[in-house]
Amino acid sequence: MLFLMFRIGKDRYVLDAAQIEQVLPLVEAKELPGAPAGIVGVISYHGEPVPLIDLGLLATGRPVAEVMSSRIILVRYPGAEGEHRLALCAEQVIETLKREPGDFVATGVEAGLPDYLGPVAADADGFIQWIRAPALLSDELRALLFRLPGAAA
Amino acid sequence: MTSRTPDNSPESARTADSARAGRLLDRPLPPGYRAEWARHFAGARVQAGEADAPADTVLIFRLGGEWLALPADLVTEITEPRRSHSLPHRRDRLVRGIVNVRGELLVKIALAELLGIEGQEPAASQGTAFARLVVIGRADRRVAFHADEVHGLHRHGPEALRALPVTVDKNAARFASAVLDWDGRAVGRLDGAGLLDAVDRSLA
Repeated sequence: MLFLMFRIGKDRYVLDAAQIEQVLPLVEAKELPGAPAGIVGVISYHGEPVPLIDLGLLATGRPVAEVMSSRIILVRYPGAEGEHRLALCAEQVIETLKREPGDFVATGVEAGLPDYLGPVAADADGFIQWIRAPALLSDELRALLFRLPGAAA
Repeated sequence: MTSRTPDNSPESARTADSARAGRLLDRPLPPGYRAEWARHFAGARVQAGEADAPADTVLIFRLGGEWLALPADLVTEITEPRRSHSLPHRRDRLVRGIVNVRGELLVKIALAELLGIEGQEPAASQGTAFARLVVIGRADRRVAFHADEVHGLHRHGPEALRALPVTVDKNAARFASAVLDWDGRAVGRLDGAGLLDAVDRSLA
């Protein structure tokens, strides 16, 4: 199973590569004043507005560094009415990783932590944590972002 | 995965390399970087469309004052011009003689003659233009011709091709299948199969 590895702060995290549509450079986003924490704006992906979540801001309160290795991961996001896209920016998006899903084990401190934090896998440098992309947004946020144009009116 | 040796394995070497390469990317964004990429991804999906469309590769060369394009799969070799040996009792306008290309004797044809573009003023070319001997054909039906200049291969999508103007002289348009936009010039794209057939007929 192929994963895309990135960093939030100093720790390494992975996303399932099958959920990823494309990795984009750090493009400029249109800011959304008053948006909930973590959502830094919308980017235009071939004309389609895609909400951009800063994983650094969401997880640690510190926005990702503006360097070349910080990239935007475009994930497909299963919604109630078809698929949506979600853009996640993270640091050091430069590596993929091949691991078996069975290599990942529960951390044992699941309670009280955000839902998107999944199990961890160990390697020589420490632990790598699996991020569950569909759990990044809470239900109300998901409803807010992916509301059908008709329903929003 | 569990039985990984930590040192001297190709995998660990690769990780060290990729870590070094990754550090190269730890530099600040150049000015205008984010805005430029934002514009790129905001635009219509052009690249994807082009990749889907069947692209065609042609060899672009010049005969006298005329730039022409020939399907690249027809071209087998481009080499230095060399002496051609005339064939006795063959005073054909189309056959210039035979040339030796790496031990193989090939008929050298006058392509300009065949296409009816002989006798034009050579276009003043910028810099030095090198004449070339181009070998075309398939398998054992290969012939060579002299080109005054060879630009090289050019890959284009179907959108670069335009139909021939209807006012073009029918004889001149005998082998041209379309007009190709290249570098601001209109290049006559030759119909490969038709050209080879005509060469065969003229050699028979």
